[in-house]
Amino acid sequence: MFFDTWLKLRNAGILGLNARNREYIMRHNPRRRYPLVDDKLTTKRLAIEAGIAVPQLYAVFQTEHDLNKLGERLAPYSEFVIKPAHGSGGSGVLVIDGRRKDLVIKPDGRGLTRDEVEFHVSNILSGIYSLGGVPDDAMVEYRVRVDPIFDPVSYQGVPDIRLLVYRGVPTMAMVRLPTRQSDGKANLHQGAVGVGIEIATGLTAHGVWQNRSVADHPDFGVSLSNLEIPNWPRLLELGARCYELTGLGYLGVDIVIDRTHGPLLLELNARPGLAIQIANGRGLRGRLEAVDRLESIPETALERVQLACDLFRIH
Amino acid sequence: MRFSAVFVLAGLCATIGLSVAYLKVSRLSVPLDPTAEATVWDVEARVAFEGRGQPAKVELTLPDTPPGFALLDEDFVSRSYGLAIRGAANGNPRQAIWTIRRAAGAQALYYHMKVYPKREEVAADPGPAPTFPEVPEYAEPLRSAIEAVLKKAREESADISTFTSLLVANINESDDENVKLIRKSATEDGWATMLTEVLAGARIPSRVVYGLPLEQDFVDTPLTAWLEVHDGERWLGYNPQTGQLGYPTNFLIWSYEHAKITATKGVRNIEVGFSGNKTPMTQLSVANRVESKLDTGLLALSLNDLPVRTQNVYRVLLMVPVGAFVIVLMRGLVGVPTFGTFMPVLVALAFRETKLAAGLALFIIVVSAGLAIRVALTRLRLLLMPRLASVLVIVIGLMLGISLLSAKLGIEQGLSIALFPMVILTMTIERMSIVWEERGAGTAIKEFIGSLFVAVCGYFAMTEPHLVYLMSTFPELLLVVLAMCLCFGTYTGYRLSEILRFRDLAKR
Repeated sequence: MFFDTWLKLRNAGILGLNARNREYIMRHNPRRRYPLVDDKLTTKRLAIEAGIAVPQLYAVFQTEHDLNKLGERLAPYSEFVIKPAHGSGGSGVLVIDGRRKDLVIKPDGRGLTRDEVEFHVSNILSGIYSLGGVPDDAMVEYRVRVDPIFDPVSYQGVPDIRLLVYRGVPTMAMVRLPTRQSDGKANLHQGAVGVGIEIATGLTAHGVWQNRSVADHPDFGVSLSNLEIPNWPRLLELGARCYELTGLGYLGVDIVIDRTHGPLLLELNARPGLAIQIANGRGLRGRLEAVDRLESIPETALERVQLACDLFRIH
Repeated sequence: MRFSAVFVLAGLCATIGLSVAYLKVSRLSVPLDPTAEATVWDVEARVAFEGRGQPAKVELTLPDTPPGFALLDEDFVSRSYGLAIRGAANGNPRQAIWTIRRAAGAQALYYHMKVYPKREEVAADPGPAPTFPEVPEYAEPLRSAIEAVLKKAREESADISTFTSLLVANINESDDENVKLIRKSATEDGWATMLTEVLAGARIPSRVVYGLPLEQDFVDTPLTAWLEVHDGERWLGYNPQTGQLGYPTNFLIWSYEHAKITATKGVRNIEVGFSGNKTPMTQLSVANRVESKLDTGLLALSLNDLPVRTQNVYRVLLMVPVGAFVIVLMRGLVGVPTFGTFMPVLVALAFRETKLAAGLALFIIVVSAGLAIRVALTRLRLLLMPRLASVLVIVIGLMLGISLLSAKLGIEQGLSIALFPMVILTMTIERMSIVWEERGAGTAIKEFIGSLFVAVCGYFAMTEPHLVYLMSTFPELLLVVLAMCLCFGTYTGYRLSEILRFRDLAKR
């Protein structure tokens, strides 16, 4: 029975971790380029230079000493997000969406004192959330206002869209919706729902939750399919341009859709996970090989988006 | 390209490792099974004589490098005699020389050797090829008899080998008058010597060797004479009674050409008797001794050259790659989640010392107690390094506490907790508490169980007695483990856990 499943998965072109690592990541992602995506500050700086839209950076804290100025530097903002520059999987992200007297307020309505915020930043600096526990920087940036289309299907937090960009061509996409279980975080490991998006149309299909296929949102029970992602072509182009930005051939691009600013690049991932296959109900291998079969890949991001829409039209 | 390079490299490593191991097995008789037994012969020469109350000197010929045998050990029982050993030189055999100022009455001296019959037959060929002997001056009527017999044999044979066989058989069996005459010329002891005289008549180089057939245990036996003929390339043995080509089973050659293996001065009635018996010995200790007697390059690869303490360290270290390979399989093929990359190997190493059940219990106790305290520390909002250090202090405290408690209760196993790598424990606790906070208790416990499971698998692999034996006896197998790791590095198939993870996709 196991072997039977094995064969079916192979025939369906499902990519496994071993194959992803050896055949795609090692082949197309040179190690020396990892720092560009592992450090969100670097990514942001590169993106700004290239004219790619990102959430505005408010402040950076690099030493414990900087914490003295925390109150002062955050004073102009009542909504902001604090995150570690080297964090992964949404850990260490603190979202503030208001102020009340001396407190700042989290989306769930709980207030935090200045000390508590300082402690959180201090934890980030000491490296709790970074890979390998090395000291880290804390960055404070614009809090994204979710596009209203996601209101019915996301529990607090900000849904984000994961694009898999292979050699510059957007290959597969999904949107990650926060749930009660994920505590408002758009991280599949923590219980967010992943919903596949058709590359050609920007329409959602079915979802995956806890590695299982689901048709409806686990908290609200609303259907997850046939949502239309706004600004889809622009979003695809933004994702495709990240290839030139980093030189990474197998790249995960995380994008949020702000209600006023449109698609914004949130972060990049040099080792994107494989759950996107479950969310789309199809294997990656066929699409990756379709890109590899091309004689040449167009130079501009716009052409590559067009190519992707032609290649991966499902109907 | 990338693919084949890996396999070429892996093939090279595996070939080198396996061939060195094969050479050790075939040439040095190192057994693949540690319990394999070899038959070793204890052979003893007893030299008995009577002293005449005056200075005495007894010389005994000793075998030097008996073909087909490995000399493992030898010793002498010399009583109050002085003993000198003269090595083989100028065609003279190796000799033991016993001397004493005054010997009176019945005396006995012993020479004792341990030999291991090697499997392969080694051609007996010491020294250069002999020259063709001159035809001896036989006295009549023996002369005409020998000429007639030689002529007959020459007519019926094709080469030296068949000639010798025919001739010897003929001399032993024929009723011919000539043959009877020849037979009469030999004494019972000098039968083989007489045959060499006859062979010299045909200008065939031959000689008599004296030795012991090691088949059944024997007591007080004289040496057996055997005929050897040089066929132009090497010495071939013939049974002097039948003319049959070959030697008796396990024929231990003691002396070449000299029937008399003793020489004396000042004693009388000397007698030499040989006894021999089989003793079982583990093949490994045989191999070790064979090795030390042979100056071979393979020796460099034996752990036995190291000081015992270092040997023991390496016996453990050589198992680490095996444990690491188990982890490679568990993570890459099965997909078991673990804390840290090689944490399970280190825990498995500790299990080696504590034994499995006690080790598991202690590990779970320390980690869960540490975890509880670590959760309490979270509330104190400590910085990372001081917090890690605090957990480390607490871990060591817990270990000490458990040791003290089990000493009080008389539980031996509790003491061995000190062998756990405490830094690994600390990091496990820290990682687990972070995973617990970020991904919930379920994931943390799953990874913890995964780590323990892999550690237990590693433990079984690393303590498998046969594997331990193979790795410590054949350290070159490291190259084979390396080759396996290299090959697995190219594996791009699914992990078993992925089959579960993606099973919904298979249904479509």
